[in-house]
Amino acid sequence: MSALSELGTLRRKKPPGHKRGPGGGAGKKATKDNLAAYLFLTPWLIGLFVITIGPMLASLYLAFTDYNLIQAPEWIGLENFTRMLSDERLHNSLRVTFTYVLVSVPLQLALALLLAVVLDRGVRGMAFYRSIFYLPSLLGSSVAIAILWKQVFGTEGLLNQLLAQVGIEGKGWISDPSTALGTLVALNVWTFGAPMVIFLAGLRQIPAMYYEAAAVDGAGSWRRFRSITLPMLTPIIFFNLVLQIIHAFQSFTQAFVVSGGTGGPSDSTMFYTLYLYDRGFGNFDMGYASAMAWFLLVIIAVLTAANFVASKYWVFYDD
Amino acid sequence: MRPLIRTVSSRGSRRRFRAVAAIAIAASLLAASACGGDSGGGANADGEVTLRFNWWGSDTRHKITQEVIDSFQKEHPKIKIKGEYGEWSGYWDKLATTVAANDAPDIIQMDEKYLREYADRGALLDLKKADGLSTDKFEPDTLGAGEFDGGLYGLNAGINAFTIVANPAVFKAAGVPMPDDKTWTWDQYTQIAAQITTKLNGKGWGTGAYGTNDASLNMWARQHGQSLFTKDGKLGVTPEGVTEFYTNLLKMRDAKATPTAEFTSQDMNAPLDQGGMATGKLAMSYSWSNQLNALSKASGQQLKLLRLPSVSGKATENGAYYKGSMFWSISSRSKHPKEAAEFVNYLANSTAAGNLLLAERGVPPNTEIRAEVAPKLKPADAASHAFIQEIVKELGEPSPPPPVGGGQVEKIIQRYTTEVLFGRQKPDQAAKAFIDEVNGEIK
Amino acid sequence: MTTETIGRTLPASRSTAYGWKRVKPLLIHGALAAAALVMLYPVIWMVVSSLRPGDEIFREPGILIRDLQISNYRVGWNALTEPFTRYLLNSAAVVFGAILGNLVSCSMAAYAFARLEFAGKKFWFAIMLVTIMLPIHVVIVPQYILFSQAGWINTFLPLVVPKLLATDAFFVFLMVQFIRGIPRELDEAARIDGCSKTGIFLRVILPLMVPALATTTIFTFIWTWNDFFSQLIYLTDPKMYTVPVALRSFVDATASTNWGSMFAMSVVSLVPVFLAFLLGQRFLVKGIATTGIK
Repeated sequence: MSALSELGTLRRKKPPGHKRGPGGGAGKKATKDNLAAYLFLTPWLIGLFVITIGPMLASLYLAFTDYNLIQAPEWIGLENFTRMLSDERLHNSLRVTFTYVLVSVPLQLALALLLAVVLDRGVRGMAFYRSIFYLPSLLGSSVAIAILWKQVFGTEGLLNQLLAQVGIEGKGWISDPSTALGTLVALNVWTFGAPMVIFLAGLRQIPAMYYEAAAVDGAGSWRRFRSITLPMLTPIIFFNLVLQIIHAFQSFTQAFVVSGGTGGPSDSTMFYTLYLYDRGFGNFDMGYASAMAWFLLVIIAVLTAANFVASKYWVFYDD
Repeated sequence: MRPLIRTVSSRGSRRRFRAVAAIAIAASLLAASACGGDSGGGANADGEVTLRFNWWGSDTRHKITQEVIDSFQKEHPKIKIKGEYGEWSGYWDKLATTVAANDAPDIIQMDEKYLREYADRGALLDLKKADGLSTDKFEPDTLGAGEFDGGLYGLNAGINAFTIVANPAVFKAAGVPMPDDKTWTWDQYTQIAAQITTKLNGKGWGTGAYGTNDASLNMWARQHGQSLFTKDGKLGVTPEGVTEFYTNLLKMRDAKATPTAEFTSQDMNAPLDQGGMATGKLAMSYSWSNQLNALSKASGQQLKLLRLPSVSGKATENGAYYKGSMFWSISSRSKHPKEAAEFVNYLANSTAAGNLLLAERGVPPNTEIRAEVAPKLKPADAASHAFIQEIVKELGEPSPPPPVGGGQVEKIIQRYTTEVLFGRQKPDQAAKAFIDEVNGEIK
Repeated sequence: MTTETIGRTLPASRSTAYGWKRVKPLLIHGALAAAALVMLYPVIWMVVSSLRPGDEIFREPGILIRDLQISNYRVGWNALTEPFTRYLLNSAAVVFGAILGNLVSCSMAAYAFARLEFAGKKFWFAIMLVTIMLPIHVVIVPQYILFSQAGWINTFLPLVVPKLLATDAFFVFLMVQFIRGIPRELDEAARIDGCSKTGIFLRVILPLMVPALATTTIFTFIWTWNDFFSQLIYLTDPKMYTVPVALRSFVDATASTNWGSMFAMSVVSLVPVFLAFLLGQRFLVKGIATTGIK
């Protein structure tokens, strides 16, 4: 038996963990823990009911009203939702958002993973590089981002200067509707610091004995990556995937700042939440914005649930 | 909404309240918004009144405005003014939120875009009914922009006119003489701009493209006997008019008078001091007159204001009008409308305030104040002041403020201009879609 | 360290391995340095711009300085109605409160979700996840109404109290994942020793999740420091403004903006978060590594 195929056995040999975690089901001790559990949950429950649920339900209620922020809301039933069916700008924003999520999340995670793997090596100065690579993520939603991004992707930005060096004529990447979304994907990929750090942590957690076993087997670095690193990292990949998808669907600030709040050029960067904000605060149509918000919540919830279901087939838990 | 509010606040509501407890939390929140709350600033025992005053702007404006507040408080020890400021987009989010929560500031710096949005829904006070606010010394044409439905909801805080701003240095570099803006037509304007583009040989363009804000369409419409919005709050342009507007835009582009679509698209949302005018890429562009100072500063050149070209070659027919660069409004829910009016009166009519503000918010509409501050203005502000004086004889009727929902037109027109310039829509398609969409937004 | 172990145990399988081994780190460094430069170009541009005279910023391309000057920092520090120190202190106060709140309340909730069995657990956990799925823009108005009824507008309370009540579900979720990585046997042992639930939480779980708490501290620091929208909405008096709100007060799209000062103060505001990350990254990495995210 080769060392690699033994891996599976190794994993299975670990002491069986308790069935635990959220949704682990109420066991015998259920009644016993109730008091303690709810005591521990008290701050969260107060927060939930007083601060979180109230406004959430208010927005749910508003989703069925015509509410212009200044006058009292008026009940209009499902009208906001039926309007969504024929709102072409909304459909466009869904297309833009889905494209963005589908392209930027895998790219960002792949880059974060790649750099995490590279930076995990025992090469000198890695702490320095880590900090450097995290720096753009700190800038986050700063107003300066809009200007910085123009310095890179504007008609006279860095990219065009570099292209000119090799004799290619650039273009206004941000201002052309066909490439504007691409620059926002780049912006999101650029701020890969948080998932990178989490990947790094995940890599540190993979027991060295697996690699030693693989080394005995004479596995090359690619093979080690495929057979050990990747499978052992799936829980972390899953964690990042779930969070980044939720995050990307709610993506707002970067598009807002870069497009000057317009979602332009020509609605090409009109993310769903940007359009929602535009309706709510720009057009004083908070009822419609609330309806949009709840529709987005349903989309995200369904996708997250699907993600959890699918995870059973590809995510490998060590316990 | 009404039944729910009553459910929560009336006597027999307890059972239902329990039954739909969660919803009621929400409803009570809304009820709070609908039936009053504490708007802060009250009068204390010794009759001192505190007012909240909101404005947007940059750091220069924040400082100057704070000085005005200080000088007002010195003269009115019983009135305390709390200044709150921020940048443009956050300002409107905050204002909408505070108004929704019945927590609006007493004195509000208002923009034409949102004036009717708030006024038509009863959030603003009719200044005609405000005690102690005088408009006697105002240039008559300047009040119209804040006046509708028989009330005055925004007091002009500075005069603005839509103009072409020109960079003499770029003209010189291209070896093209400055045009006579009193007689020029659109065709001459296109020719001149195209000539500059050719002479600059890739280093710049003759003029920026129009259609990047609603004002340019409004001016075009006014030159063609229409108006972007009518007095009764409807859209005043026809599909044919807008088609022609876009056809001419393409004509100018094809003549190389204006830059590429990419440049225009980037330029339309660039902050003023990063635009093509500030960076010296354009010999001419469209601008509001009160931006001359900022543009001159940013470009490092003494820029010049020109009248818009017209169809007929007569300056009196180029559609010019006085717009309010911004307005002073008072919240209708202010607990101290009298004191608020007193402060607005101070802002608009006192020489002390005028001498501090100068042309920070545009040329003062109060003619006496204007005469008083004129000699103290910085060169660029003095130039825009002179321009405003010069065109007074050529003005048409004031342009009605956009109706509720009309504040969105700027973004809509930018979008269709982009579509047309990138060749994604033909002028007539874009015109029709533009009109349909605007009609859908106006309430 | 894993790779070093491999390096030592792996036999050099190819004859070129020795030469390759010397070249490879150089290549990696070269690639990393190049990548870092590209990544940092915008940041460098910002720092350079903060050292340029304001009117040169957009007219001079590239990142070479001809005329270095630090006046932007001096001017920017006092450009608004309050000195910038005030905004830094305000931000620090909010950040401190938020960190404290998140640490206490989120760890308590996370302990209940990860370790205790109780009726409605699944339900509450799902509710918690759902609360992070609604865009903030539709809840901000009802929330503002709530806080204004409480008389909390223009105080730090709306920014801090929610953290004390664990409304940041992200961190609850994160800590749940951390606690799940702590062996249950330790709880059992403590229970046999006579520890109550509270005792287990305080004596077993909390000490073992110190790295997780460090993670929370750092992320809370960075995100609260950069948070703009809620700070904008709830703070009205310029004396109460925090760094992100103050920074935006420099920008006026319709007139000229003092970009030099804006960039200078942006650089200033970047320093504390960068330091926080530098100090914290050791804990961050070690933290997740020792407890594990599952």
